[in-house]
Formats: sequence, structure tokens, C-alpha cells
Amino acid sequence: MSSVNRIQILSDRVANKIAAGEVVERPASVIKELIENSLDAGATHIEVEVIAGGRKYLCVRDNGHGMSRDDALLSLERHATSKIKDVDDIECVGTMGFRGEAVPAIASVSRLTLTTRLAGDVEGTEINVSGGKIQDAGEAGCPPGTSVTVRNLFFNVPARRKFLRSEQTEVSHIRQVFLVYALANPGVGLRLLVDEREVYNLPAGVQFEDRLRDVYSADLLKTLRTVDYVSGELSLRGFVGVPSLTRGDRSDQYIFVNGRPASAPAVWGGLKEAYRGLLAKDRHPVLFLFIDMDPSLVDVNVHPTKKEVRFRHPGTVRDALVEGVRKSLSGSSSSSVGMPGPSGTTVGAEPFRRPVVQIENLPAAAVFQYPRIPFEARDEKPGERSDDHAKAGIPAEERPWSWSRVVGQVGGLYVLLETEEGLVVMDPHAAHARVLYERLLKELADSSVESQGLLTPEAVELPPKDALRVRKGLGALQSMGFGISEFGGDTFIVDALPACLGDVAAAPLLIDLAQSVEEGGARAGVQKWAGERIARSVSRSAVASRDRLTLEEIEKLVVNLGKAEMPYTCPHGHPTLFFMSYSELNRKFGKT
Amino acid sequence: MKFTVNKELILEALQKVQAIVNPRTTLPILSNVLFQSDGKKLTLSATDLEVSVRTSIDAKVDKAGGTTLPARRLLSIVRELPSAEIEVDTDEKDIASIKCGPSFFKLVGISEDEFPPPPKFEGGKSYKMEQGVFKEMLQKTGYAASTDETRYILNGVLLSFQGEKLIVVATDGRRLALVEQEVEFPKKSEGDLVVPSKTVNELIRTLGDEGELTIQATENQVAFEFDDILIISKLIEGTFPNFRQVIPAQCEERVTIEREILFTALKRAALLTNDQSNSVKLLFTSNKLQIVTETPDVGESKETIPVKFSGKDVSVAFNPEFMMDPLKCLQSDEIHIEMTDELSPGVIKADVPFLYVLMPMRMS
Repeated sequence: MSSVNRIQILSDRVANKIAAGEVVERPASVIKELIENSLDAGATHIEVEVIAGGRKYLCVRDNGHGMSRDDALLSLERHATSKIKDVDDIECVGTMGFRGEAVPAIASVSRLTLTTRLAGDVEGTEINVSGGKIQDAGEAGCPPGTSVTVRNLFFNVPARRKFLRSEQTEVSHIRQVFLVYALANPGVGLRLLVDEREVYNLPAGVQFEDRLRDVYSADLLKTLRTVDYVSGELSLRGFVGVPSLTRGDRSDQYIFVNGRPASAPAVWGGLKEAYRGLLAKDRHPVLFLFIDMDPSLVDVNVHPTKKEVRFRHPGTVRDALVEGVRKSLSGSSSSSVGMPGPSGTTVGAEPFRRPVVQIENLPAAAVFQYPRIPFEARDEKPGERSDDHAKAGIPAEERPWSWSRVVGQVGGLYVLLETEEGLVVMDPHAAHARVLYERLLKELADSSVESQGLLTPEAVELPPKDALRVRKGLGALQSMGFGISEFGGDTFIVDALPACLGDVAAAPLLIDLAQSVEEGGARAGVQKWAGERIARSVSRSAVASRDRLTLEEIEKLVVNLGKAEMPYTCPHGHPTLFFMSYSELNRKFGKT
Repeated sequence: MKFTVNKELILEALQKVQAIVNPRTTLPILSNVLFQSDGKKLTLSATDLEVSVRTSIDAKVDKAGGTTLPARRLLSIVRELPSAEIEVDTDEKDIASIKCGPSFFKLVGISEDEFPPPPKFEGGKSYKMEQGVFKEMLQKTGYAASTDETRYILNGVLLSFQGEKLIVVATDGRRLALVEQEVEFPKKSEGDLVVPSKTVNELIRTLGDEGELTIQATENQVAFEFDDILIISKLIEGTFPNFRQVIPAQCEERVTIEREILFTALKRAALLTNDQSNSVKLLFTSNKLQIVTETPDVGESKETIPVKFSGKDVSVAFNPEFMMDPLKCLQSDEIHIEMTDELSPGVIKADVPFLYVLMPMRMS
């Protein structure tokens, strides 16, 4: 019997094709890899061009440092890279890529042309590869930098080709990738051409804020809050959306770890905690966050396309996110971009919006001029009551509006307000709930912690995982009013419980709290149990949806809501108000 | 069936049974009262499957039989009816015609066959005692039971028939109320029963002040029979915690206070507590008790009560509700408070065999 060798080493071509399965999923992933390479090559201008959703043709041109001919040839070999030299370099990698997989992988599933020239060289190099085989390599005239053209992607992988979606879908994926890198690198000029039509042309050397304005709109910027938070080695910058600006999914959440679009469970956890009580269920905030830290504290070599990273100290990242995002949401951030914000208006100054049209027989409200002293409502007919608010003494940045006027009530419930920036529709019920919630939270924070002793100390034995959490959070639990101490092994002795919890059993409570303490840090644990309890009692005492409110009550509510820390949502996460700017109104009426 | 009944009699009977009817039940039949008659007496029954109550009244029965009628609605009708005699006649579809003077109602009922059969009750232990005595024992303890459903064993009152005594205990883990009473019963009937709070409340409502009460118990059920009423209830299964270990063997200081004065002072002090801060501080100094409330953003209160006290100064904080509960249902003029320090349990005693242990609150 002849021996049959069943196991053999795969050829590089096969290996590359397998790698392509991981790295090259669709045209957008090719764009991603190529843009990353361009960025790593120090490009200041990158041009992306696609035709027919990238299936037929896609090209990424840059003005980076380019490659010599030898380098260019070598770059098509698997695991050939200029970015790292040793395993240790991965630990502190500062470039986007380092695996040396992408280009050969792309080359193995397409017809690829690589054109490159070092700035100092007289002539450039052009290499044609088809299905991973180098067809020819010659000289070519070209500007300095590198240009990679990929034609007929997946021409030799019919299975993959079948899984490509419609042209529009692929283009939208490409745009998404393009945007991610455009946002991550405001210093780099980027241009996107789809089917020979310019979609984006973003100038180089701008600030993130400008890039955001270019990519999105100036209106979006107004609903964002600046985040600028430094905690030890970690810095957190960017923008977060106010809670009224939400999406059904996470597509408008851009998180960059050391400039790399990536994420990690710790980040989601932190964000969830930061927005706790501010969002309705299954809503996600819009955000653009840059997390920067020592590269050795992040492991990026987790995922082939590096979508996910691993933090050495996830807790620190999470706490920083909670702290930083909360801080800017609460409006105390000094560089607030602001929701119907006080942009440009000084405290107390009332913008005088001259009526464009004067309606003859409309009562005074339509041409009402805003006096500084409270307007006498009794002169008005019901329904056209109006008033303004002298709100001197409150710093403008902490309020959603620095000036407002109650226009009236609609639908027997919603209150219409005119503010300096536009129209606000407020739900008085939700607003009242928010105001009460914050007052009670504050009272709770101010009051001393009371704990009710137990007749018989309860020995609580916890599963090992929960026991570990409780042990870690022992201090936090004690400060919450638990009389708790270790009793050896995974058992704890509880001899007192927070008095405000009422009639409850110790063990399930402890497990529950241990989990929330771990998820959100000690602060979150305390806030959560207090907050949830309060939220429940608040909804009971808040103005019933159908109650009639007097103008004075609404005014008081508007003032109080203006002073609230998180004015935009009720404690259950429903919005308290929505805002329509004058520019939006103008746009809706076709005026610009 | 067809019967004529006195309004006051049926009203009283309906009020006795309807309290355990759950208006939001998923089984419609449980919202109804069962009417049955063998020709002489009229029997009314209601159940929530845990507790069932049955009572009999005199009625002129023209046609024997049975039906069920919605309890709450019937009660409201009967309450508003004008004259003394009510005639009820049901057809084969269980629609009842109710005639009373000038008023006439038709009420849709459900067949008696759908009503859950009464729990079978055989043998077991048996005890006899005065209704009034038992009622008072329940009143003095029932409020201390826990309402936290996860600690089901504490959701009721322990009846411990041991030696020649009945000890009734209830606790929620923070305070414990105990009364004892000498009762005669055969040695073989010794044992512990834990009666659910719902049943206890029904007993407090229906037990009279005089007359005999018979208690019968099996492994998992208990029956209370008195006057014309029979209450059958499930027992809470499990072992009640050892209440003796939480009763302090001795306390360092003891003070006697007039119950009414302490109660009203606490009531006033409690006016200044809120959800976040629900404690009153008791400061015992030489011949003086001060009750102090300090609640941030609400205010402060101070009550001074002269007492005979010469021990060391003690300052201890309690939940005022927990302190007032026993004072409400005691009758004695004076009560005794025993305590040691701010962390040890306080004990309230009266000249009757009553004991109340209360854990203090700690501030940080």
C-alpha cells in the first residue's frame, strides 16, 4: 500500500484568496484597506473613484511617499509590510495596517494595477497583477505617490460576486467607509467620485468641526455637544448628540481609537451608561468620538479588519466615557455647540425678529415686541397669551434657550415656545417629570445615607462571578447604605440595607446591584437604584397628561426645565421637547 | 333557585365574603359569589383559590339550587336597594331577576358548576379559643409581616402552638411582633402554622369579639370556623425563622412612657420625614426623651417628653412608621422601651404579653 500524503502546504495564491475572504468582503472593504495604506503613506490628499459600485472599477490615488520598484513588487507578497518589523511593534503600532495581507489579498481576487513613484525618483513603476499573478512590471510616468486601480473585483471568485448587493447598496457602503476616514482625518483632503460624478470634495488641513460641517450639515453641528475630556493617559475628544437627536441604529456613531475607526464592548457599555435615563428604548445617540491613548494600552490585532480593539484597562475607558460624555451632555462643557443654544446671543439680550409679514387683524401676539418685564397676560385673549422670561442670573450655556416666549398650547397638551433660534414644542408632562426627577435626585444626593438594620444578619452566598463583583464593589455598596462584610469564601454577611429600599430581600438585590456596579462603575450603581426608584415616583406625581395648566405654571416649568441638567428627555427617555430652527422652517417653505 | 332575603342580612354576608374576591382575576368565575341553598339556609361562598370564605344566612327559600353572581356589582346593587325584602329568582341560564319594592334588576351570572369546589378538609389538629382573643392577637402582630414576595415564608403570621401556649409572631426582617396567650389543646396538636397575610386580614375583618372559634389544621391547610362563617386557607409551607434568637436577652436601659403621648409625638415628628430620609432620632437623657427629625430641604422638628430615666444617655434612630405600628394597636396606658445603644435592637413591651423588637437605622 502506498502512503498518501493528505496534508500539504497551501500555495501563496490559495492562502491569499483565503485571506481575501476575511479582508475583502465587498468593494467597500477594498476602499478601506487602500485608504488606510494611503494614510499610512503620509498622504495629504486622497482621491477615491468608483464605477458601477466598485465592481468594475475602483481606484484610490494618493500623494503619499510612494514606493521604489523593489518595494512595490514586494508589497504584493503576502505578509510583506513596511509598517512593522518585529512582533513587539504590534504592541505599539501607530499605523493603520500592519498585517501585510491586504494588498496581496485584493490582488488575488481582482485585476490590480499598482502605479507608484517616490518623490525623488525620475520615473515611476507600474505593475499589473491578475488574480494574484504578476503579469508585467514596467516604468511609467506618474505623479509622486501611489495609485491602486482594482478592476473586475471577484472576477475569479464567482461565489463572492454573487453575494454582492445592488450597485446603490455597494456605493452606500463605500460612502460610509469614505466618511469614516474623512471624519477621522480632517487634515487630509479627500475626494470621492462615483460614476464620474463628484460626491465629496473635502479640503485638506481643516479642523474636525469643519470637516463635520462639510460632510453633514451646519444644523447637525448645532445639536451636538463638544466632548473634551482628559483622564490620565486617556483623552476623549469629539462631539456627542443631545438626547433628542437619536437614531434607530448605531450607524451615526463614529468612534475612533487612536484615529482608527474601531470599537470595543467597553465603549458600548460606557456610552450606554452615559446616556442612561436619557434615551428611549432602542434609540442610539449620534456621536463622533476620538479616544486617544498610549498605543501599548490598546490591542488592535484582534480582528482581521481591525473593527474591534481590545483595551488593556477597559474600566478606565468606560469610566472616562461615562464621565466625559455626561459632563458635556449636562451642558457644563465650556465649548458647548449647543442645542437651540445661546450661539452669539448674550445673556438677557432679546433678539428682535422683525415680522416679515404683518397680519392686520391678528391680535397683538403676532407683532408682539418682547418687553423685559413679564408681560401682562390678562390683556391678551385666551389662546394668544404670550409672555417672556426675564432669566437674568442663570449662565446662558446651561439652558436650552436663553430666551423664550410661550406662544400657546396645542392639542390640549403640547406647549409651543418661541425661542431665539426657532420653534420649540414641549410636552409639559415629560418636562415636569424631568424637573421633579432632577430635584429628587439632588435631594437624594444631598441627604445622608440611612440604612435600616436587620434583625438577623443574612448570610448571602453568591455564585463566584457575582461574589467577585460584590467584593470589588464592597466599598460602593457600603456607601449606598449596605451593612455588608465578607464572611469567607463567596459568602457575605448583610446586617443592614439602605432604608429607602423598603421591604426587600438582601440576596437578589445584592446580585442585581453588583452587576450594575460593574457595568457602570460605582457611581452608576448608586445612581441607578436611586434613579429608578425616583423615576417611578416621579411619574406618579408629574402633571397628568390632560391636566389644565395655567400660563404661570407653564412659564415656571419652562424656566425650571431650562435650568435642568438634562433638559431634553424625561426620566424614561422620552423627549421633553423638539426643536425646529428658523432655518429649517425657512427651508420647509422653500426660502433660503 | 328562588329565595327572598332580608336586605341587611345579605348585605352583611356579602361584605364578609367579597373582600377576598379579586376584581382583576383572569378566571371570571372568581369574581363571583356562589349562592347555594338546600331549602332552609342560604350559603354564600367566595374564593381566590388560596383562601375561601363561606357564610350562611336565613332566607325564605322557594326553590332550592345554586348560582353564582358577580360579587362587587351585586354588593353595590344591594347597598342601594330601597326596601327590606329582596327577592332573587334565577333561570336556567343563570340570569338572576332581583326584585325589591319598585326596583327590578336582571343580573347575568355564571353556572354554579364552574365554581371551584370547596377544598376537602379532613382530620388534622384542632384548637378552640375565644374569637376576640384571637382577633386581638392577629391585630397586634399582622402588620409586621413582610410584603416582599420573594420571602414568602415571611408573608404571613406564625401561629405556634407549643406547651400550653399559642405564640403569634410576624416579622419582615427589620422588626418583629410577638404575642402569647395560654390556650388549652391536646398535646398531639402541638405545631406551627404560617397563615398568609390575606387570610389574617380577612380574619381580622370577620372575627367577632365574642363567641368560640375552632381552628383546624392539616399539613397544608387551615380552617377557621366561627359563628356562621368558615374560612379555609392554604398555609405557607416552610420553616419560619427562629424568632427567639432575635429577642435580646437583656438590655442595658429601660424606660416607661405613656403610650398615647409617645404615639402622638412620633406622629408629629414623622410629618417632617420624606421618602429619602425616613427616620426619627430618639435621645434619652436624664428624665427626658427628645424626638428629633432633621430632613434636608424639608425641615426639623423636636418633641420633648418628660420620662423617668436615669441611665446613661442613649441616642438611637428608628423608622417612625415601624415605631407607631405597635403603639396603634396596644391598649395599655404605658409601654416600656428597652435599648442598649444606637446599633442594638430596641424592644417595646407592654404589660400584656406583647413584645416588639425593632432594629435601629444607621446614619452615615
